[in-house]
Amino acid sequence: MALKSSDTRWGSIAQWLHWLMALAIIGNGILGLIMVDMSRGMTKLNVFAIHKSIGLTVLALLILRVCWRMLDRKPRDEPMPRWQRLAAHATHAVLYLFMLAIPLSGWTYNSAHGNPLQWFKLFNLPALMERNDAISDLARDTHEVLFWILLLILVAHVGGALVHHVFTRDNTLLRMLPFARLRSRNSGDQS
Amino acid sequence: MNRLFTLLVLWAIGSNALAADYRVERSSTLGFTGTFQGEEFNGSFARFEAQIRYDSSVLDASSFDVTIDLSSVHTGDSDRDEMLPTAEFFDTSTSATAHFKTSRFYKSGNEVIASGTLTLKGVSKPVDLNVTFTPVGAGATLDISTRIKRLDFGIGTGEYADTSTIGNDVQIKAHLKLGPKA
Repeated sequence: MALKSSDTRWGSIAQWLHWLMALAIIGNGILGLIMVDMSRGMTKLNVFAIHKSIGLTVLALLILRVCWRMLDRKPRDEPMPRWQRLAAHATHAVLYLFMLAIPLSGWTYNSAHGNPLQWFKLFNLPALMERNDAISDLARDTHEVLFWILLLILVAHVGGALVHHVFTRDNTLLRMLPFARLRSRNSGDQS
Repeated sequence: MNRLFTLLVLWAIGSNALAADYRVERSSTLGFTGTFQGEEFNGSFARFEAQIRYDSSVLDASSFDVTIDLSSVHTGDSDRDEMLPTAEFFDTSTSATAHFKTSRFYKSGNEVIASGTLTLKGVSKPVDLNVTFTPVGAGATLDISTRIKRLDFGIGTGEYADTSTIGNDVQIKAHLKLGPKA
């Protein structure tokens, strides 16, 4: 399997970055919803620390992914109506924006609240700003609202991929799946 | 013989007079630095009492006796400030104060060390303080520092004993402003 993307499918680096980040984002969303209702104690502190560590990991992977995407080539769009193509690309752009904004709003909240920021107990990252109660509240609300909006965008993203896979029966989903065989279309382009 | 006696008396009076008693000004601070998730945080005690008798040339006659109201702790984080008085940490409902009393002073190189006993949460252990005494007019400033291990005194029990989240080393610092005792 090629590391780089081809005209017809995503390369394994793009694929693994996609699915690793998908797993981290969904897992961290669930963790975030659980942790805020936990009763005070060491477990809560540790779960918060893991949530922050995963969020920082998403941020780091995002930087890698954007860099790689600028180096990598891109598969051609699957044949589809223009509005679907535009909607898909707009959804991707917003997803990238949210993958940046959600960790950064969390980091801002953590900094403004005066909490330490440690990556899996290995090293610490600096605060983005001084302690500030007003910004802390604003960043916390932003972090949460962005998450709920992200869920809506993910419904569009996942829904679109599934509709293409199940109804249009094209390679939109398959070309992002490691180990998957592409369906042959009229062009017979298979890899 | 008479002269020798007079000298002895003068020396005895002199040594007591030299190791002066001081009044601790309200602007004095006493606190600590701990670590949480790899980052330092500072705490301070708003209420403490210190009886300070000190002279760097008559160390044997010097003494510190300090009592700290543990419930007066502030660390700049309301969650932490609510946790610290509880049973897992200071347990102020059982022992409201910490107490330090010197047993002897000695010099180690240029440093003055005050050896004594710290009693905290019902545990008494020997603790050495580094002492920096700077005369200022009729008074002085007195800087104290030492390092203890929180688990030696049972600060943070059960799940809170995990030193990978809450560091075991705690630095204790005091900056006392001393005025002449009226």
